[in-house]
Amino acid sequence: MTIRTRLTLWYGCVLFCAVVLIAILSLSEVQERRERFHRHDRGMRELIEIMLGVGIPGAALSVAGGWWLTRKSLAPLAALTNAAERLNENTLAARLPRSHNRDELDRLTEVFNDMTARLHQSFERIREFTVHASHELKTPLTILCGEAEMALRDESLSTAERERCGAQLDEMRRLARIVDALALLARADAGLVELKREPVALDELVHESFADAQILAHAQGVRVELREVESAAVSGNAHRLRQLLLNLTDNAVKYNTPGGLVTMALRNKSNQAEFVMANTGHGIAPEWLPKVFDRFFRGDPAHNSDVEGCGLGLSIAKWIVTAHDGTIQVESIPEKLTTVTVKLPVFLK
Amino acid sequence: MRVLLVEDEKKTASFIRKALQAEGFAVDVCRNGNEVADLIATTPFDCVVLDIMLPGRDGLSVLRQLRESHHPTPVLLLSARGNVHERVEGLNAGADDYLPKPFELDELVARVRALTRRGAENRATVLRVSDLSLDTITRQARRGGTTIELTTREYRLLEFLMRSAGRMCGRMMILEKVWDYDFDPGTNLVDVYVRRLRDKIDAAFERKLLHTVRGSGYVLKDQP
Repeated sequence: MTIRTRLTLWYGCVLFCAVVLIAILSLSEVQERRERFHRHDRGMRELIEIMLGVGIPGAALSVAGGWWLTRKSLAPLAALTNAAERLNENTLAARLPRSHNRDELDRLTEVFNDMTARLHQSFERIREFTVHASHELKTPLTILCGEAEMALRDESLSTAERERCGAQLDEMRRLARIVDALALLARADAGLVELKREPVALDELVHESFADAQILAHAQGVRVELREVESAAVSGNAHRLRQLLLNLTDNAVKYNTPGGLVTMALRNKSNQAEFVMANTGHGIAPEWLPKVFDRFFRGDPAHNSDVEGCGLGLSIAKWIVTAHDGTIQVESIPEKLTTVTVKLPVFLK
Repeated sequence: MRVLLVEDEKKTASFIRKALQAEGFAVDVCRNGNEVADLIATTPFDCVVLDIMLPGRDGLSVLRQLRESHHPTPVLLLSARGNVHERVEGLNAGADDYLPKPFELDELVARVRALTRRGAENRATVLRVSDLSLDTITRQARRGGTTIELTTREYRLLEFLMRSAGRMCGRMMILEKVWDYDFDPGTNLVDVYVRRLRDKIDAAFERKLLHTVRGSGYVLKDQP
């Protein structure tokens, strides 16, 4: 039972009792006075008449009035509930309108607004921190890589020293790629990345990425098959869409097993371009599936400890798809097939 | 060849200068964006390597000023901001090339070399390196009298390498020109393609033309 109904009922009951009490008291008063003049026996009937004629309509009216009153006074509470329901990391900047009448609910709204403001602030701080951190890391990384490359140019270096230096340089470059990917995601989170969009023939990009996939897969002993490719134009950014396809291809090959298979298909289904990429391999256990788009998630640790990568590829893929108003979904039957489905709205002239 | 390096970070400036000097460039270093215009007005440079974040005027505004006064010196922009649009913004402002930090030193040197030689770019329709030829109209490659079958991507890779014959081509440069990627995908795509191309053009021949440069790029040339 909602507070509103409860309050209305209580209000109605109290009013009804009050009316009955008043009726009884006033009737006994009237009767007493009449009895002083002449005897009368219509007392009971009059009481019932008053009860029916005044009490019931009065009570009904007061119940309706109470319902309206409580509804009005509790409206801020309903607004607050709706606002809390809508709240997520992207809507923290929104504030609830206040009544400023200094009642309990206005106070609650104020506290709620303060709370979201504080949350918003700390979210912003984390975002800013990531943007700045990834930027500040680039200068020392540039210096480290540069110094290592200069050291490698030294002809007097022994083979062992050269190998050590080369290995360090490889790791620094890996670090540089992680910082780069992180910087992109941080800027995207902070809404600082704007995508210039134009009509892009997705089927052409799929054909291109099929050619690359074959090359990447061949080295791993994996086969790639291109299923049907229907023509589909989307409004998008060609660079980012290429990056999306390459990230997915890279995963499909990396998390495969030798002798495995990767299939690609593009369908144009009633104003929606649907790109499906499936690969064999260990797959993803159901408990890990909700985490695949998380940053630095690198698959089931039981299988993938030796797979190279930084665990940001799918996070970037998800961002690219979302920025194109599309959806991305991963399904997996462990040890059998993992399927990634990307749906993008088709460009309409 | 004389290069102006505009970079305020001392250590970065120092190894870029060393690397360019090792390749035979004369290098002047400048640390403040306000001084660039005067330097360029008094000394003829063949190329400017310009960092975007500078004390004084920032790199982009220096570049705009330079282009507004119709200065033709090629400019290579360096940036640590990593903004996705910065590349486009930089090229629109009049930069000839853009390199995000952290970059590979060889990549930077290769780009500076490409910029200083830009006028002399090979525009022929049939490209030749030793006994390897590539007809850019029929898209046919031949070596020593045999025709070599190439896929579209392999053709574009070979054409790029042949047009820059004798010059080192960095991985990022190849990804940009052949794949049209403006990001480092972190895969060995380029290496795998080069290996395939090498199988096709070099494997059957005594004399190798496609060489690896210290793990950071490739060069197509006649000498070993």
